[in-house]
Amino acid sequence: MDPKLLEILVCPLCKSPLIYRKSEQELICKADRLAYAIKDDIPVMLADEARAMTPEEVEQLR
Amino acid sequence: MNEFEIDKRAVRRAFSRAAHDYDTAAVLQREICTRMLERLDYIKQQPARMLDVGSGTGWGTRQLAQRYPSAQVVALDMALGMLNMAREQSSWWRKLFSGRQQSHVCADVEALPLAANSMDMVWSNLTLQWCNDLPATLRGLHDILKTDGLLMFSTFGPDTLKELRSAFHSVDGNSHVNRFIDMHDIGDMLMHGGFTEPVMDMEIITLTYNDVKTVMQDLRNIGAHNATAGRAQGMMGKAAWQNVIEGYERYRREGKLPATFEIIYGHAWKPQPEATTSGAQIIQTSFKL
Repeated sequence: MDPKLLEILVCPLCKSPLIYRKSEQELICKADRLAYAIKDDIPVMLADEARAMTPEEVEQLR
Repeated sequence: MNEFEIDKRAVRRAFSRAAHDYDTAAVLQREICTRMLERLDYIKQQPARMLDVGSGTGWGTRQLAQRYPSAQVVALDMALGMLNMAREQSSWWRKLFSGRQQSHVCADVEALPLAANSMDMVWSNLTLQWCNDLPATLRGLHDILKTDGLLMFSTFGPDTLKELRSAFHSVDGNSHVNRFIDMHDIGDMLMHGGFTEPVMDMEIITLTYNDVKTVMQDLRNIGAHNATAGRAQGMMGKAAWQNVIEGYERYRREGKLPATFEIIYGHAWKPQPEATTSGAQIIQTSFKL
């Protein structure tokens, strides 16, 4: 994942910063509880393709 | 008189091109891209980071990367397949022309995943016509631009595909062709969206075809099908379809069928924040027209 791009990426819905989970290749928006997939280094920042997360899963990120 | 400046030169150039053997989507896009690049000659700004909205296979992105070798160029497209293709191309391109690595992000221009004040320039070639809410999209682009940042774009105007619209109209009185937004209205939207000094102009490009079927195939390639033929065709009977063909055939000149594209070009700047507060008054006066 391109670090220069990571610097400027935000959630497309709420524009808040994202958490980069390298091992899962996901970018997470805690506010919207969405995990955006990174496919072959290209982040897919489409809300309707993002994985919905449970509140518990989001809680564990703290 | 509108507050924003309209470029009255409104160049009306027509060129014909036998397009049946070409991928018209690419031909048209490259032609418009080249004309947009010429306009950049008058822009002195050297962007450190720029965004190509609706980058497709990345042909335009590579032109931009070549023009601004020190810039970080971010290519944004809805289609992951397009981005994958663009990335493959960009790696050999970079070996040939050096330049910095291009970044690729899959996203919708109507829901941008980019931080506010992150871009020095936003470039968009023939993409904004697919937005459901253009005023909101322009505000979104304004947000991601830095102060003094430049938005430069092209889109389709209302006369685009007028022959096809008329051909459908003669069948059932309905318009089956997407209504494209007038450049004056886009200029207004730019002002309301917080941009300053918008410059708009347009030109007519006419592509020619051998038959109606090829026109339809090309429209599918440029994505016009969702608003035009692709949807209508499914609902139309054979006889009605034959009427459309006959309606379109009336336009045949010198053995060829024309398809008109009205290309709108525009650029505008994100002003200093203090200009925005006083700009509110300017916007109000333009309402009185």
